[in-house]
Amino acid sequence: MSYLSIKDLSTEIDGKGILNKLNLNIEKGETHVLLGPNASGKSTLLYTLMGFPDYKVKEGSITFDDKDITELEIEDRSKLGIAGVYQNPPAINVKLSKLLEKISDKKVELQGIEGLLDREVNVGFSGGERKLSEVVQVISLDPNFIILDELDAGLDVVNLEKLSNLIKEELSGKTILLITHRGRALKFFEPDYAHVMMDGQIICSSKNWKKIWQTIEEDGYEKCKNCELYTNR
Amino acid sequence: MKNAKTVNYTQIDNQAATIVDEKDVVILNSSQAYDNYDWCREWYDEKPEEGYFVWVKKSCSETINTNVVVSSPSITQNAKNLVVIDEGVETKMQHNFVAKNNDLLANHTGTTKVVVKQGAKIEINHNLAWGNQDTVESSMDLILDKGADVVFSQRCQKVPKVFKLKHTNHLDDNANLDFVTTILADGGNIEMSDFTYLNGKKCKGLSTTRMIARKDTVIDSETQMIAASSGTGHIDCMGLLFGKECSIKAIPELINNDKEASLTHEASVGKISDEILNYLRSRGLTEEESIKLIIDGFLGDEEKITIEGVELAL
Repeated sequence: MSYLSIKDLSTEIDGKGILNKLNLNIEKGETHVLLGPNASGKSTLLYTLMGFPDYKVKEGSITFDDKDITELEIEDRSKLGIAGVYQNPPAINVKLSKLLEKISDKKVELQGIEGLLDREVNVGFSGGERKLSEVVQVISLDPNFIILDELDAGLDVVNLEKLSNLIKEELSGKTILLITHRGRALKFFEPDYAHVMMDGQIICSSKNWKKIWQTIEEDGYEKCKNCELYTNR
Repeated sequence: MKNAKTVNYTQIDNQAATIVDEKDVVILNSSQAYDNYDWCREWYDEKPEEGYFVWVKKSCSETINTNVVVSSPSITQNAKNLVVIDEGVETKMQHNFVAKNNDLLANHTGTTKVVVKQGAKIEINHNLAWGNQDTVESSMDLILDKGADVVFSQRCQKVPKVFKLKHTNHLDDNANLDFVTTILADGGNIEMSDFTYLNGKKCKGLSTTRMIARKDTVIDSETQMIAASSGTGHIDCMGLLFGKECSIKAIPELINNDKEASLTHEASVGKISDEILNYLRSRGLTEEESIKLIIDGFLGDEEKITIEGVELAL
């Protein structure tokens, strides 16, 4: 069985179906990218994998490291080593240094983080500061499987490259799922597999991430179904 | 700043205080100060019987401590306190108001006036820990002369059964006040009112109120910022509700009598959002740990009250 194995997963939020019999397998140490237009269900997959209670699993299963985690509580998934870098993390009236102290014994020293430690998490943070705060938290957790949700949103290309390199250095050899609809982070991660998600399903998977991204860039997501790589016929 | 030893005033029940004095800081019982200094009488309505008088004449690097303690059952205290900080002085003060045990049925009335003269800079911390059967009525006038700079933080870690708090702040030209009140209530009926008068040109007032109601608690909080000159003022009220039978009423009010003044406010009362709880849980914290972290963050860093020579059951 794969390190992460998602089988026929269907979820709903407030009674509305989002994921629809989704299947995805990721092997240990691999980096996968999940591409898809807005509202295709990418972030729903993140929150479902993390175990957020509003995202109700109606059907299917999630197995991680040979354990069925479909019904597991959020914090227990974290303890298994699953961590998310969120696109829109909430503002919290707790200093970042205090949060880091509580979630991990590991001290992370990164350039640019000093100025954030004495500030409340995401209160008045810029887009780049929010991302840095997220990445520092995740690195401090020393996770096994990391989901990066829209890492490239709100970052200029220089900072995106810096942050991507930081993640690759600090989390070298870890299993990564990169979620994006812009694809700007692709070249920094060079994934082993790329998947295209539409309407709550993965409609295409390939090792040739360059070809997939080229198709999307040239013709948009709607044309994905006509692509020669389209596998979900 | 001058190097000085810590200065202490400790009043237990109604006994005359134990005082450790220091050269440039005069600490007396209020009644003695009333007798010794004619000038201070304008700040007292009548000759006080209880309470402290602190007069800081030169900058002091160590914290000046005063302690008012209830130690015996059914004590009635009526403390009239006066603090005077001379011109240009920089110092720190900590005032503790504490009941040794929960069930002493104390009745405490406290009236405090703090006069901060021109250009003085002071950090004041009030720590309050009452018994849950006590009745406490406390008022404080904070008077900031021109260019005075005050950071005031009042933290109530244990609220009495009945708790009335009234603060009135007066700011002269270029004065700066950062005023924070934090209440953690596990039961009780609390009435709080803060009035900040921006009387001087270019003065700045910030009034922050943090309230946590955990069980069987009613908090009624009114905060006013009143501008009579070209100052700036901001009110920030936040309340968190836990459990049943809790309510918080927060009323921020802005009264602007000068078109050059700028007043703003923000207020919120509610429970901890599920979004925040789930986020913290996804970082490996349990729900209980997440709530504790949020409360700690809300209240700021915890300060344990210790009073030399007094064993406190806090």
